[in-house]
Amino acid sequence: MFLKRLPKFAYHTPSSLAEAIDLASRYGSNARFIAGGTDLLVAMKERETTPEHLVSLNGIDGLKGITADGAGGIKIGALTTLADVQRSAMVKKQFLPLWEAVEVMSSPQIRSLATVGGNLCSAVPSADTAPPLMALNASLKIVGPKGERTVPVEGFFTGPKQTVCKTDEILAEILIPKPKPSSAGCYLKLMRRRAMDLALVGVAVYLELEGKTKVCKGVRIALGAVAPTPITVPEGEAVLMNKPVDEALIAQAAKAAGMQCRPITDIRASLEYRCSMVEVLTRRALTEAHKRISG
Amino acid sequence: MKKEYKVVGKSVERTDARPKVTGKARYAGDLVAPGMLHGKILRSPVAHANIPNIDTSRAIALPGVLGVITGRDFPGIPFGTRPDIRDQIPMPITKVHHFGEGVAAVAAIDEDTAEEALDLIRVDYEELPVVLTAQDALAAGAPLVNEFKKSNICYQSDFLFGDVEKGFAEADHIQEQAFSSQRVTVGFIEPHACLAEVDNSGRILLQGSKQSPYITWRHMCRALDVPLSSMRIINPFVGGGFSGKHDPMDVDFAAVKLAQVTGRPVKIVLNNGEILAAYRQRNAMNARLRLGVKKNGQITALHAENILEGGPISGIGPFNIYYYGAFLNIPYKIPAIEYHGKLVYSNRAPCGTVRGQEIVLAQFCLDSLLHMAGEELGLDPVEMRQINAVTDNWTCANGIKCDVSGLPECITKSAEKVAWKESRKARPADRGIGFSCASHPSGPRLGGHFGSAVVLKLMEDGKVIVTHGGTEIGQGANTVFCQMAAEELGLPYEDIIQGVSDSDTTIFDSGMFGDRCTYWDGNATIAAAQDLKKQLAEIVAAELGARPEDLEFADACVFVRDNPEKGMDFQRAVRRAYYEKGAPLYGRGHWSATDIDVVDWKTGKGNLAHGLDFIATAIELDVDRETGKVRLLRGIHGDDAGQPINPAMLEGQVNGGSAHLTGQALWEDSLYDEKGRAINYSWRDYKQPTAMDVPEYVVEHVHTHDPYGPFGAKGAGEASSCSSMAAIANGIYDAVGVRITDLPITAEKILAALNAKEGK
Repeated sequence: MFLKRLPKFAYHTPSSLAEAIDLASRYGSNARFIAGGTDLLVAMKERETTPEHLVSLNGIDGLKGITADGAGGIKIGALTTLADVQRSAMVKKQFLPLWEAVEVMSSPQIRSLATVGGNLCSAVPSADTAPPLMALNASLKIVGPKGERTVPVEGFFTGPKQTVCKTDEILAEILIPKPKPSSAGCYLKLMRRRAMDLALVGVAVYLELEGKTKVCKGVRIALGAVAPTPITVPEGEAVLMNKPVDEALIAQAAKAAGMQCRPITDIRASLEYRCSMVEVLTRRALTEAHKRISG
Repeated sequence: MKKEYKVVGKSVERTDARPKVTGKARYAGDLVAPGMLHGKILRSPVAHANIPNIDTSRAIALPGVLGVITGRDFPGIPFGTRPDIRDQIPMPITKVHHFGEGVAAVAAIDEDTAEEALDLIRVDYEELPVVLTAQDALAAGAPLVNEFKKSNICYQSDFLFGDVEKGFAEADHIQEQAFSSQRVTVGFIEPHACLAEVDNSGRILLQGSKQSPYITWRHMCRALDVPLSSMRIINPFVGGGFSGKHDPMDVDFAAVKLAQVTGRPVKIVLNNGEILAAYRQRNAMNARLRLGVKKNGQITALHAENILEGGPISGIGPFNIYYYGAFLNIPYKIPAIEYHGKLVYSNRAPCGTVRGQEIVLAQFCLDSLLHMAGEELGLDPVEMRQINAVTDNWTCANGIKCDVSGLPECITKSAEKVAWKESRKARPADRGIGFSCASHPSGPRLGGHFGSAVVLKLMEDGKVIVTHGGTEIGQGANTVFCQMAAEELGLPYEDIIQGVSDSDTTIFDSGMFGDRCTYWDGNATIAAAQDLKKQLAEIVAAELGARPEDLEFADACVFVRDNPEKGMDFQRAVRRAYYEKGAPLYGRGHWSATDIDVVDWKTGKGNLAHGLDFIATAIELDVDRETGKVRLLRGIHGDDAGQPINPAMLEGQVNGGSAHLTGQALWEDSLYDEKGRAINYSWRDYKQPTAMDVPEYVVEHVHTHDPYGPFGAKGAGEASSCSSMAAIANGIYDAVGVRITDLPITAEKILAALNAKEGK
């Protein structure tokens, strides 16, 4: 009912991925990985989850930091904090929607603890980093006892607080490919107040235009907080694809997005309000992305 | 009467600025005592139930647990704000009244053990139907909420001032509207916390986060059935109050009882979830107002009905229901008023009040209604307020006497500064300006002990320690009294030291609320300084060859009036007292507005306070027509607080009050499910405004001189919380033409109203 003290648990500090995976395999569902802990520790105080073992990923080399992948894209270590992403000039310059998402997440104190990987693995419907990563066509490197696998971000979430990661698998890296020339993106978040709030609706878009004709050659629309998981809206994308982009077409795509979301009514907003806001924010985000390409 | 002041009127550094900024300030939760135990409270998961049996045997048997208590460990003596409303006991004995109510408490060697013990306590809950709204409470056959009362109507006020019928007959236009408001939390940062100890003689020491220690002390001694001298209260630093920490909480009672039972010091610190779910909130309101106005905008009569839903205890609710009606009488000249107010019990969290008290709700209704009437008559909202504004020497219909009113000038200044006239010629789309005025008294006189007292201890090095009963809860009281003492004694501000708030050495004060401390304790500070000067003058007069009454104190000297050469350093005078007379000096002063009325809250007639302060607030905002989101752009407050004592702190108070109420105006809402269980009781789900949500504020000081206030000052800080919600509502109407009368004015409500208006 009310927050309690942390329950008792064993704390493990492996120094390699293999060691961490080994610990997780050994303890199975009694273990949880911990990164920044800003979601997990609260959930434990709420007794929503009471793992007997916490396996810290913080001592493992190579899980932190943002590096160029050599092909124009970047690799973000899953343990990279939101504050590090926010401080990254490279992210701000080339992957603006992700930067825009991180900038409006929580408070400076939380951002300096919370990690990008943690935000994805917590898998709440309103996770702010998910829609921009989907829009930017990012994929996730997952390491487990049987080796590595890579999944696209939109294939990562399986339900509220559920992902494709098995209990002994670790999200290690977020890979964002190089954006195409003549492309841009945008993330817009609607909150009750202007800082430190969860998204009522989050919309990320990516738009790529053919240089001269302004015909849409690539488009992604991703939504947060309006379905059991962050989602993409292929129906909205289809409206724009291979057509010259103008105001009317953007409005049509936004309308399609508004019709595809599956939100709930909760203490923050009603279902109806969220659907109409998806349409408004999608239109604004697409318009902004369009402007950014031209500008 | 204007005088050049040396310390008063200057924005000196706060006495508590450095300890707070550097984290050195000690709050109740920081305190430790040798052998201290940690207490935890078990809370009811249901809103309304009989509790025939509480089995604590397994908890007390847990190793590390030294004490377990329930409501049955207390004498069962009810307490309350006034003798006719004693309807509260420390912890429940026969039934629980709201979700999260404390039913038992444990003291153990550490917090983990105490928490573990809570899980071992078995409470039998026999659930009862719940009363959640005013409608539920007043329904025929409604379950009774409070076991000390035979009705769900807790208190009633019925006022009739002037000829209301005639007033409405003379009106050219009558505007009528229903208004409602939601439950909101109080919003302080520091949670309830305390450390209780009991000495060998059984004397209790409580160090807690209290806003009005006197009120806590009186109520606790009554409910614990101990004489007043058997309890001592020391107030450490307090992290905000806003009227949520006046009275004793179960936290305080449980810590004391556990200290008595275990013989060890016991500390209890709550978390914010407990506070958001189960502690003080603002009353929910259902009101209907009818306003008669002439073609020129002049008000002829007002009729108001109001029901406040206030949770299972009265608390200060009866005062709230009176205040709502009383402050419909001011800041506008209304010749005839009829008011019917009811306070009802319910099974939601207990209410106290929040900053501005229920004047906040009255003013939201009245100033919204005034704007609506003006709109119908085609009148300018600024002119309409100006024509009705209370002026100097005005007696309100209910008998409140206003000596000095800067309100007309406040209105002029805020309208000018916000560029109201210019905005009528041209303004960006969807942008609007809303006005509201308000008035707040400088501390009403209530029944029982009602006074303020100050002691100044003169140290032998010439410094002076101030102890007063008013509480520093962040508003700046300590700084203000040090400034006043320095001014009156002719000493530099740095020579005045703030003493500890301790009931053994401080003369108690009736409470820190209603803008009263600056005014009441301020006058007591001046009296204490005058007493000290008189004593010192008597000691050095002969040496200076003058009569004591001819001596003056200024610039750290004592000298013969009009003859500054004939004098001595203050320091030398102090040495004369200490070393030649062996006389340590204490200045004593007290003040009480004994010339005003102890108003009967049921009929409401009388002059309840001096020092009516005034404000005229203009808020410029814009509305996003597609999302319904409101963005506040500028807030201008024309503010009459008499003589500002510390202008920077005054601005902080004015702006803070306005920012605080932005949350209640636009989105804050303490929600409950159909069984009365709190829903959004975490800071993740319950949001108050941050610095990002508030506009640029400007305070235009309108200097007046109050004839009774210290240095001409009036109370300050709460009027802006009263004026801000209507200003926002009126601004939204001005921007996009929709009028929302049920708070909060959420983006979703605005969008729905816009869609309805456009036939969507």
